[in-house]
Amino acid sequence: MSTSTESRGAQFLLNAYVALFCLYLFLPLGVMSAAAFNSFDYPSVTQWRGFTLKWFVALAHDQRILEGLRNSVLVALGVIAVSIPAGLAGALILTRLGQRSGTMLYSVLVSPVLTPGIILGISSLIFWREFGVPGGLFVAVMAQSSFIASYAMLLFLARLQRQDRTLEEAALDLGASHTMVFRRITLPFLAPTAFTAAVVAFLQSFENYNTTVFAIGGEWTLVTEIASRLRFGLSPVINVVGVIFVVLTVVAAVTYVLLKGRRAVAH
Amino acid sequence: MASLARAYGRLLAFLFAAITLLWILVLVLVPLGAMIDQALWWRESKGDVSLAIDRLYNDIALAQLDRNSEKDPAKQAALDQQIAQKQAEATALEAQEKNPPKTYGFANFTRMSGLHFYIFVRTILYALMVTLLALVVCYPVAYVVALASGPRKAIVLTVALIIPYAINELLRVYAWLMILDYRGVINGVLGWLGFLDLDNRGWIPFLESPSAVFVAMIYTYVLFMVFPMVNTLETLDRNQIEAARDLGAGTLRIHRRIIIPHAKPGIAVGCIMTFMLSAGSYSVPAIMTRGQGGDWFSQLVYRQFYESNNWNMGSAYAVSLLVVCTAFILIMMRLFGVGLRDIAK
Amino acid sequence: MRGKDVRLDNVTIRFGDTTAVHPTDLAIHAGEFFSILGPSGCGKTTLLRTISGFIEPTEGRVLIGGEDMAGKGPNERPTALIFQNLALFPLMSVAENVAFGLEARGVAKAERLKRAEELLALVALGGFGGKKPADLSGGQRQRVAIARALAVEPSVLLLDEPLSALDLKLRQHMRAELRAIQRRVGITFIYITHDQGEALAMSDRVAVMSRGRVEQVTTAETLYADPATPFVATFVGEQNVLPGTVASVADGVARIDTPLGPITGRAKATLAPGAAALVMVRPERVALGTGRENTVTARLAARHLEGPSVNLEFEHDGRRLVVTVPNGPELRDLPSEMTLSFGRDDALVYAEGPLAHG
Repeated sequence: MSTSTESRGAQFLLNAYVALFCLYLFLPLGVMSAAAFNSFDYPSVTQWRGFTLKWFVALAHDQRILEGLRNSVLVALGVIAVSIPAGLAGALILTRLGQRSGTMLYSVLVSPVLTPGIILGISSLIFWREFGVPGGLFVAVMAQSSFIASYAMLLFLARLQRQDRTLEEAALDLGASHTMVFRRITLPFLAPTAFTAAVVAFLQSFENYNTTVFAIGGEWTLVTEIASRLRFGLSPVINVVGVIFVVLTVVAAVTYVLLKGRRAVAH
Repeated sequence: MASLARAYGRLLAFLFAAITLLWILVLVLVPLGAMIDQALWWRESKGDVSLAIDRLYNDIALAQLDRNSEKDPAKQAALDQQIAQKQAEATALEAQEKNPPKTYGFANFTRMSGLHFYIFVRTILYALMVTLLALVVCYPVAYVVALASGPRKAIVLTVALIIPYAINELLRVYAWLMILDYRGVINGVLGWLGFLDLDNRGWIPFLESPSAVFVAMIYTYVLFMVFPMVNTLETLDRNQIEAARDLGAGTLRIHRRIIIPHAKPGIAVGCIMTFMLSAGSYSVPAIMTRGQGGDWFSQLVYRQFYESNNWNMGSAYAVSLLVVCTAFILIMMRLFGVGLRDIAK
Repeated sequence: MRGKDVRLDNVTIRFGDTTAVHPTDLAIHAGEFFSILGPSGCGKTTLLRTISGFIEPTEGRVLIGGEDMAGKGPNERPTALIFQNLALFPLMSVAENVAFGLEARGVAKAERLKRAEELLALVALGGFGGKKPADLSGGQRQRVAIARALAVEPSVLLLDEPLSALDLKLRQHMRAELRAIQRRVGITFIYITHDQGEALAMSDRVAVMSRGRVEQVTTAETLYADPATPFVATFVGEQNVLPGTVASVADGVARIDTPLGPITGRAKATLAPGAAALVMVRPERVALGTGRENTVTARLAARHLEGPSVNLEFEHDGRRLVVTVPNGPELRDLPSEMTLSFGRDDALVYAEGPLAHG
């Protein structure tokens, strides 16, 4: 199976190294998750005071966290609404531009991906204050969209590269208007990507901290609320949030792999 | 524009161009310009003006007192005049205090204090070290995932890497906070073994040293190095490795002549992302230091905005960070001979 | 449906510095099956895309039914194009594909689906409307593409090598089918191909293109029997090419000195004595033995069995001469040295010029 070019000794060392690396990745997460079930008031695994689920209950009654969750969802939906059309338009324009002007535009459109998140947050904060809009959910949406739209655009661009242009030409030739070609041929072709891009945008927005913390002003999202809890007043409630994140991620990753595996078998 | 109109029709071409233009202007370029503008001007410190106003009002109050106890009309008139004059002066200063004039220049940059500059340089050096260490740690991992495993093992490993990658960075930092805390895992184990006396605060204060930030930062951003490398290495035709081996090349030579040259774009992207994320990280230092020293530059920026309320200084700091990151990207692109299009893949 | 004529009036197409089509005049009659034949890169696809409206000519005009098409996009012209890869919409059903042009024209859904079903019946695909293009065979997809193009009732149907993806047997079947459909609907067909067999089998008239120029426009028979240029002569069918020098010209008959000896033939160009010339003789026009105006003695070098016929390869003084004769028992014991002959009308004489193969 494996096309090993190494000797067995080297192969063993490499595998041991990777195993160690995985342990390094997962052990801290395990520690964090375990503390969610410790009845000790301070998040800890070394001071074990017995198994409990009371922190889960406490989380369910934590108003600020619940409100943060709602804000996070609102911001993420806003980001989807802004970045999917922007990314789509940018990708459609880029695929039809010549090499020279295309590269210029491309550089500008992907630059937010390579810019530190705090810079995006700061520049949005300053820009919107000029219009009398203080930091808050709206500015957070704008700041996050500036780079999430780039990710969406890259996804659309990759899909458009695999597009059969003759389909659009055939539709035009049959008398369709450009609008109809776009609606009946181009959009259906891009629809799966739009869905993927929306999921990616939602997750990126939901998880974002470095940009959001500058743009959010006096409001808060789930993630900024977690951050301020981590700085002032640690509580196992945060570990419960961590457990939920870990479980959701594992379920999503395993489902994805199973689906992908089945598709691979089907082909 | 003509080719766009040809491809999408005038209406849609205009619509797409307008949306793209709005994105560029409203979300990217103008905010960036606003930040740079903010970094380039300042208002004279309000403190001096306020002090001067306070002093004037003091004088006025004293003069008023003198005026009330004074019986001589001539002296009264002189005092009245003095009061009126000082009042006018104070009014003028008050206007200035409310809206001090903007002054443009580079003072926000040159005024950075020695300590702040030290932190700036230290942040960049740490970020470079994080990048380098991540590169060294990740290369074997990427190699194994992309080239030295069968399809099934590769999938399992990919999932093993994706799960921690997908979990929120704050939680990843938090996990390390729990490990390095005063009564965290390491101190706890050492105390249990009898090396430390935790009950009398005999713990090792990991969180008070910058290395805590460093350790957590590597943990948080190491995977941004792995995935770009895996992606490029996966496109390497394994037959090339076999052929090189067949021609008598040793393991080191194969890596140096075949695998690493092929991985170049991935290495460049990994380095750029890791450096950019760690140099600009606010989450890791904010959580790991918990206000006990070991500042990261991003924390200074945050305080300029949300504690000192000096947006001009804060913007100047942010611009400095942006300049360093941009320079780093350009250097990496030149060094590895890759273009922006390779990077964004 | 009624066919319209297509006229190209001094059409020139340049992309940057390269000229894809040199100034070209072409008149395609209403209702004819017209082929444009040429090797890849000769500009035939560019010409087709110009007629359909995807390319604006750099100079000149395209007229369809006498109407100038300048400034009209592909969706405003009375043409329909069948693409080389067919370009069926993969996400739509077969019926939706066929009805697409009607949908674009605002025909009500029930009406256009009924019409689609009729057209599918016309191309012998009745009942296939609910399937997806991916579920069909190559030949069926081909017919869907035709039905989809016919649905918009075009006056001119443009076909861009639509048979090239099919295997040989199906291709031959589809040739006959295309011809039959063209007869039935009576509109103008403009067919692009690099396959001379297709062009000769289906077309009323054929234009041969090379390097952005139209070399000859005529019927299939004339194209084969009386090619106008050395390129056409060598591109269509097999040809013996004999270079030589003009000895004399009189009354359209030229005498050429060739390595095989003097040959007389019909002059296809104005030739001056002493000038370089090319003599072309079809292999099947050469007979074994004497009896015709031109005779040549040559050594039998090889024989290639084609089935019903045999190609005999002769050599004389380093020159090759191929003779195609019907297969038969008399070919079993041929002498190694033979006399061959061909008529004066079978030898065509051209001024020196580019050939089709190298």
